[in-house]
Amino acid sequence: MGFLDILRGKRELKQPAPDRLFAMSTAYVKLEMELHLTSTGKAAIVFQPLATADFEQLVRDMEEIVRSTGSENEGSVKSSDDEHGYRWMIITDRDFEDLVVGVNAVSNEIQGGGYGDRILAAVFAFRDEKDRPLYWIYNYKRGAFYPFVPSGGGQQRDNERELRLKAQIGQDLPVEPELERWFPLWGIPI
Amino acid sequence: MPRPTSFGKDTGLQIRMTVTMFLLGLVYVALVVALLAAGANGVTVAIIAGGLAALNLFASDKLALAAMGARVVTPQEAPQLHAMVERLCVQADLPKPKVAVANTRMPNAFALGRSPKSATVCATTGIMELLTPAELEGVMAHELTHVANRDVLVMTLAGFFATIAAYIVQFGFFFGGGAMGGDDDDNPSFFVLLLVSLVVYVVSFLLMQALSRYREFAADRGAAIITGRPSALASALTKIASGMNRIPQKDLRAAGELQAFFIFPAAKGSISGLFATHPPMEKRIAALQRLEAQLQGQIAA
Repeated sequence: MGFLDILRGKRELKQPAPDRLFAMSTAYVKLEMELHLTSTGKAAIVFQPLATADFEQLVRDMEEIVRSTGSENEGSVKSSDDEHGYRWMIITDRDFEDLVVGVNAVSNEIQGGGYGDRILAAVFAFRDEKDRPLYWIYNYKRGAFYPFVPSGGGQQRDNERELRLKAQIGQDLPVEPELERWFPLWGIPI
Repeated sequence: MPRPTSFGKDTGLQIRMTVTMFLLGLVYVALVVALLAAGANGVTVAIIAGGLAALNLFASDKLALAAMGARVVTPQEAPQLHAMVERLCVQADLPKPKVAVANTRMPNAFALGRSPKSATVCATTGIMELLTPAELEGVMAHELTHVANRDVLVMTLAGFFATIAAYIVQFGFFFGGGAMGGDDDDNPSFFVLLLVSLVVYVVSFLLMQALSRYREFAADRGAAIITGRPSALASALTKIASGMNRIPQKDLRAAGELQAFFIFPAAKGSISGLFATHPPMEKRIAALQRLEAQLQGQIAA
């Protein structure tokens, strides 16, 4: 935000950054081969549903589109609202490449409807070799990924593991440089 | 085809804010001229006031938190509040501020800190009990907009020369009298400075209050944009306002100094609108309702 914007107290929501979502499809090879993380076959996109008629129409259309594209690979999509009033579109597909494509289709649809600023994040769920859950979260406004490893019980996260993941993935994924923006998402429904 | 943003422009508010800042600047130029004309004394006062303002900017958040009886809480202590603030931060593209809770029945919330990185947002236990999650989200978004707009910094800087003027008026006798030395008793330039300072003090005070009100409107608007739910904030304001009236006067006076960045100022009987730091609630709710109508596509943006 520029100096003038601060002076004028202007607030406009930041639109999504240039899309780097597809970096995940290429990074997946490394995640799987070297880091031994496997996809659970699920990804989700979380956004703020607006209580307006055209937004609700948009969401209905979107579910329709994802459902029709996903069916080729036995993929599925379902949506649920969380306790904070955000909506999750959960995409299931055994092929990781299709998962990324599915997430991209949803976000494109929302952006095409002019509500790109309402998208919070995309989440890809993984399991490590000990079958512990681990997530890579893509922040649309920053155009960057960050790891999120819940370590069970009372909103604890395994920061050490997260920092190690950042070092391990290196240049293969655009990782959020500012640690204070590694926002956790508790109760991820995937 | 991308559709236009959901909310219209706030040209009227922007114009009023710009005019106010311009007038403040104009008043301050007069003061600076008078300070320079007064020579060494004037400059000394300016430096002292500058130091105090800097101190205020860098140390005030901890003092203010302590004064409110507020405590920074960990995510484990207040998981819901933290999760709410985190999501709003993603949406507003802000780094996460510290989250504090003040243990008081008074329903209120405020933001502190000169920059987004050093900011703290605080909610009272009273407001968390009173409001539904959606309403509380609107209130926290309002505070986060204060953080994003750097309102603490803007108002401290805007008030910088007003503070100098206030010091000169208050300590005018010290500087005008003994310190000047024997034979130079009625120093005319300093008398002028005192007079200018007095005028600057009064005028800038009124302008500052106006500026503060405009920044409240801007923060309400920002909150509506971040959450996409103007009506939730409007409903929160109604609840807080009726809640505030039931609180004993003693609590309110204890909170007097901190009011600037509260979501809602403690009621103090009848204050004329000119002297209020916050706009009247009806106007804030009317503005939020306009935003809701724009969002629903009822008014052309």
